[in-house]
Amino acid sequence: MSLEHVDDYPEIPVSLASTRTMLKTGAWRSVRPVLTERTAPCTTGCPAGLGVPAYLDDITAGRLDRAFLSLTARNPFPRITGRVCPHLCEDGCNLPIRTGDAAVSIRSIERWLGDQTADVAHPQPNPPTGKHVAVVGSGPAGLSAAYYLRRSGHEVTVYERRAEAGGVLRYGIPDYRLPAPIVASEVARLRNMGIDIRTGVALGADVTLADLEATHAAVFIATGAWQERPLEIDGAELLESGLAFLESVNQGEARVPGPHCAVIGAGNTAMDVARVLRRLGADVTVLYRRTAAEMPAIREEYEEALGDGVTFEWLTNPTAIDKNPAGLTVTVETMRLGEPDESGRRRPIPTGETRDVRFDGVFAATGETADLSPFPPFMQTRAGNLDVRPDGATRDPLVFVGGDLATGPATVIDAIVAGRRAARAIDHQLGFDARWPMDELSEPVAAAETNPTYITRRARTDSPPVATVDPFDEETRTLTTGEVLGEIERCMSCGHCNACRTCFVFCPDGAITWDEGPVIDHEFCKGCGICVVECPGHAMILINEREVSHA
Amino acid sequence: MRWAVPEAEFMDPGTLGCQGCGGALSMRMVLKEVGDDAAAVLPACCWSIIDGPWPLHSLNIPVLHTAFETAAVVATGIKAAKRHQGKDTTVIAWAGDGGTFDIGLQALSGAAERNEDILYVCYDNEAYMNTGIQRSSATPVGTWTTTTPDERPEPRPKKDIMAIMAAHRIPYAATATSAYPDDLARKVRTAVAARGGMRFLHVLSACPPGWKMPADQAIEAMRRAVLSKVFPLYELRNGRDLTITVWPDREVAIEEYFELQGRFAPLEHEPQTVEQIRSDVAERWQALVDRHERTMALAGA
Amino acid sequence: MRERLLLTGNHAAAYGAMLSRAEVISAYPITPQTMIVELLSELTASGRLDAEFITVESEHSAMAACVGASAAGARAYTATSGQGLALMHEMLHWAVGARLPIVLTNVSRAMAPGWSIWSDQSDILSQRDVGWMMVFAETVQEAQDFVLWMYRVSEQVYLPGMVGMDAFILSHTAEPLIVHDQEAADAYLPPFEPIYDLDPAEPRAYGGLVNRDHYFELRYKIYESMERAGSLLREAGEEFGEVLGRRYTPLEGYLLDDAEYVVVSAGAMTSNVRQAVRDLRDRGVKVGLLRVIAFRPFPITEVRSLLGGRRKVAVLDRNMSPGHSGIFAEEVRSALFGQPDAPPVYGYVVGIGGRDVRVETVVDVVDDLTVREEPEMALYVGVKGLPIGPLRRDSQITRLQPLEVQP
Repeated sequence: MSLEHVDDYPEIPVSLASTRTMLKTGAWRSVRPVLTERTAPCTTGCPAGLGVPAYLDDITAGRLDRAFLSLTARNPFPRITGRVCPHLCEDGCNLPIRTGDAAVSIRSIERWLGDQTADVAHPQPNPPTGKHVAVVGSGPAGLSAAYYLRRSGHEVTVYERRAEAGGVLRYGIPDYRLPAPIVASEVARLRNMGIDIRTGVALGADVTLADLEATHAAVFIATGAWQERPLEIDGAELLESGLAFLESVNQGEARVPGPHCAVIGAGNTAMDVARVLRRLGADVTVLYRRTAAEMPAIREEYEEALGDGVTFEWLTNPTAIDKNPAGLTVTVETMRLGEPDESGRRRPIPTGETRDVRFDGVFAATGETADLSPFPPFMQTRAGNLDVRPDGATRDPLVFVGGDLATGPATVIDAIVAGRRAARAIDHQLGFDARWPMDELSEPVAAAETNPTYITRRARTDSPPVATVDPFDEETRTLTTGEVLGEIERCMSCGHCNACRTCFVFCPDGAITWDEGPVIDHEFCKGCGICVVECPGHAMILINEREVSHA
Repeated sequence: MRWAVPEAEFMDPGTLGCQGCGGALSMRMVLKEVGDDAAAVLPACCWSIIDGPWPLHSLNIPVLHTAFETAAVVATGIKAAKRHQGKDTTVIAWAGDGGTFDIGLQALSGAAERNEDILYVCYDNEAYMNTGIQRSSATPVGTWTTTTPDERPEPRPKKDIMAIMAAHRIPYAATATSAYPDDLARKVRTAVAARGGMRFLHVLSACPPGWKMPADQAIEAMRRAVLSKVFPLYELRNGRDLTITVWPDREVAIEEYFELQGRFAPLEHEPQTVEQIRSDVAERWQALVDRHERTMALAGA
Repeated sequence: MRERLLLTGNHAAAYGAMLSRAEVISAYPITPQTMIVELLSELTASGRLDAEFITVESEHSAMAACVGASAAGARAYTATSGQGLALMHEMLHWAVGARLPIVLTNVSRAMAPGWSIWSDQSDILSQRDVGWMMVFAETVQEAQDFVLWMYRVSEQVYLPGMVGMDAFILSHTAEPLIVHDQEAADAYLPPFEPIYDLDPAEPRAYGGLVNRDHYFELRYKIYESMERAGSLLREAGEEFGEVLGRRYTPLEGYLLDDAEYVVVSAGAMTSNVRQAVRDLRDRGVKVGLLRVIAFRPFPITEVRSLLGGRRKVAVLDRNMSPGHSGIFAEEVRSALFGQPDAPPVYGYVVGIGGRDVRVETVVDVVDDLTVREEPEMALYVGVKGLPIGPLRRDSQITRLQPLEVQP
């Protein structure tokens, strides 16, 4: 408007235009807020680097297909990890640090998502590459590698020595934690992608490494760690293998030696063995030479065992086993804790005090090792281990390995990641662009940066235990949709804009508009920083205006 | 948390509010609920400036600027005209604490006593901020302002404007703050719906320059005012039935409210005053809780 | 229906508001104005006048309520006096700056302390520079009619108008008057159709922050409008005659044609001036009367033409601007200053605080005028113990004597 002449003026001092037309308050600003995508601590906590807040956001918005796709880009088996993962993601959650509340139950949400998308077909593979890759072993590492290799467009054949695919998922983890039909359906979904899964084919016995190398462009081996580490005590031959026991249970052939059983060791296998024995009606005592603080089992599994009524004898080291007319006599020595050993855990030291305890059966579960017999000596180190790079490559350029075979006993998610990494390395080795994500993640959003004010503060909802008829029916149930949406409301969505609108609500200048997400109007934003401070997950950051103009 | 705050905007950007202005935010939030069949009166206050220099205007409703002490009565006059014209327009008197607690109290009392059909909103930043931070009767005890310097900080507690409004037995009065947008929004909706009589909203509104704190702490400061029970959120019907609307979900000590703001620096040297405030706050809160429970008991009976 | 009634000035003013179809009336009592709002209260309560009646809590609020109502497009009216007008002062300015055609009746009374409810024009003249149109009524009829006259012009120039009437002498004195037919009044004063009315469909801000680049131009518009009000007052006064039978002008002359001496007066005391002029004419003194009706805008040109060439002019001021002279005298002098035929102007301060201005008082003034050689800024008439004359320059402030106690 022109106000050059008195006649240009209205009769009264009445406004003629909106401040929007010419009062560009953005010029006041020295810092500007920008919306970013930052890494959440749950994502860095996850061995697979799953972008948790993003898929939680997709769930809330009803975009389940997108959630499934973003999840399977890093982990093809949410139905499985949603049940058995040690959920390191939750250990990283900023919520407990910031508020003292329990972490968001990410695993339960993942399980719900896995179940919701159980019938969603995996994406069409890339156009055929003409390469054929062999995968040996159909545990989580083998299936994961097969999945990513297939999506890359290779022909994939999986060789499995047992009658059914799944490896530890099928034969190691009891049904009450991971029902066999779920594993079977995941395997079926992989077959639908065109993956050839051949069971009853054992490496070494039915086919040799050399045979596979001769007929495939590359070989990925993930045969697991299925050999019980021998316990060197008198009467060790009287011990039963915990792993073998689990395998037989999973084949429906469980046999309980008697009403009083002991399990030696306190790792995850020991917990499974103890719990299965309880379910089969036995009294179970876990004998462990250190204490609860040092035991390798995941806390949760320990607590579940306690809940099942398993008895724990700490600082109790079996030194000999003998037969007695009614069963077995275990001589145990009381230990005390000394200085930390190389693992960082306090070392058990014998006290010389011993006593005898009677059991009907004693199971060893003190650790498992891999069978390296199929591998030629040149692939092994002087110490007798396979020489493996982090991406699974070995001294044989056509052979990659992963999973427990390479690392010793680890978690399902570790195995899945190993399979993905190896697929990436094989892609590269075969001359294709590596399309599967790397694992390097940026520094996560710190708890101090978050603002828990606007999330819903309520108790954590985890997949709850259910009463079952058969002790081997799944012991917990999947959350309901309502429960999942409620649980997601507890998430601060660190580093990811989940369209909560907090920035929009609190902008004192009305300089944020909404178009699915916040749009900051830099013509007017004064740079007060409220949006950045109030953003629950700190997905907004402030940058210096000078850096903007120089950029 | 999914906000119930509507997307519609009735405040254009480009206002002259300072960075992090709680008063601007209060206006933006209140108008979202009032909607566009409204007219507002702005007496002398920060909003005389914030709205923009002539020939500009930021609000999407008509606004009549008026003299400092006249918000309530000018609104009364507008409402009388609108009523005579058969129009149902919501008339808002939008005044600061000076224009409400001090110079405008007489006109406010008059309008309240007559039960005028207006929505009076006091956006309270606890001092004369527009003139450069001078104490008002809304300034809390122990506060620094340019007229209550560090050597002689505010000696008297904040005037209890809600008690004054309660004494007028107006149909609806409530405290609110933009740190609790859904609570604020609900109260505005309630107030608008209670047309026919006087409605009063006491909206605590942070002033980063006047409270001597970084602009980005504005919301946090208002939130802590509520959580520390220094500024409880409640509503009052007919001056009698009191209901607390936001129950602090965590303990926040009054010191946590004070420490955000440089204006409370004198309190660092006045532990006795802090203790006095603590006991006053506790006593007032208990009195509110008692009244809340009485209201609930009466409603149940 | 046109009717002839016997009413006080106050009730006539209320009838003026009713005939104007005021839509919003704010009311606050103050003697001697109170009867105006009392009657308006009855008229609105009975439904004779369809208006919102607001019993505000002060005169400041009375004007503020009018500001709000007028800004929202309603015809707004209030009445006050003395202290009340002084309290309104800020909002009188506001009505002007906001360009609101409010009409106010002020019943002039002396300012406190000491408390005085009696006639004195110092209250209204203290508001000289706020930018309101001001007219002074002499009769009960005018107390009614001038309300309509003010609205008629106010709503054309978007400036408020004030009707002055003297305490008791007019406010409480009953005279016969014609109460106009409402239809005729409506014909004279059509409904107010404002150029703005705070319509939510037109979300504008009124009267906000104006910086140095614009304030002057917006004020210039006010000055121009007030200037234009001068001719509009004349036209509207003529029209009043055509439609309602009484013609009003900014100035009124009486026996001026051959007058060598002219007495200038405003308000109710003018009636006694008129009688004194007749008495003096009987004695052969060639004296006439010039009554100021419109004080703002001040009819400068007419004052010059009506007073130019006279031998002497006496201006009666029932008011005082301490440190200067009476205010009407200042206005007349400044209008005449530099005119080749300007007569000498003698200021006479009379009737302060309700002291009677009798016919004899005016005769004494004219007698003094005819013999006094040098014109004086202000001559005080009727101060105990003193002859008509200027202020003394040698008086002292004396300390109080001890209180007298009963023996």
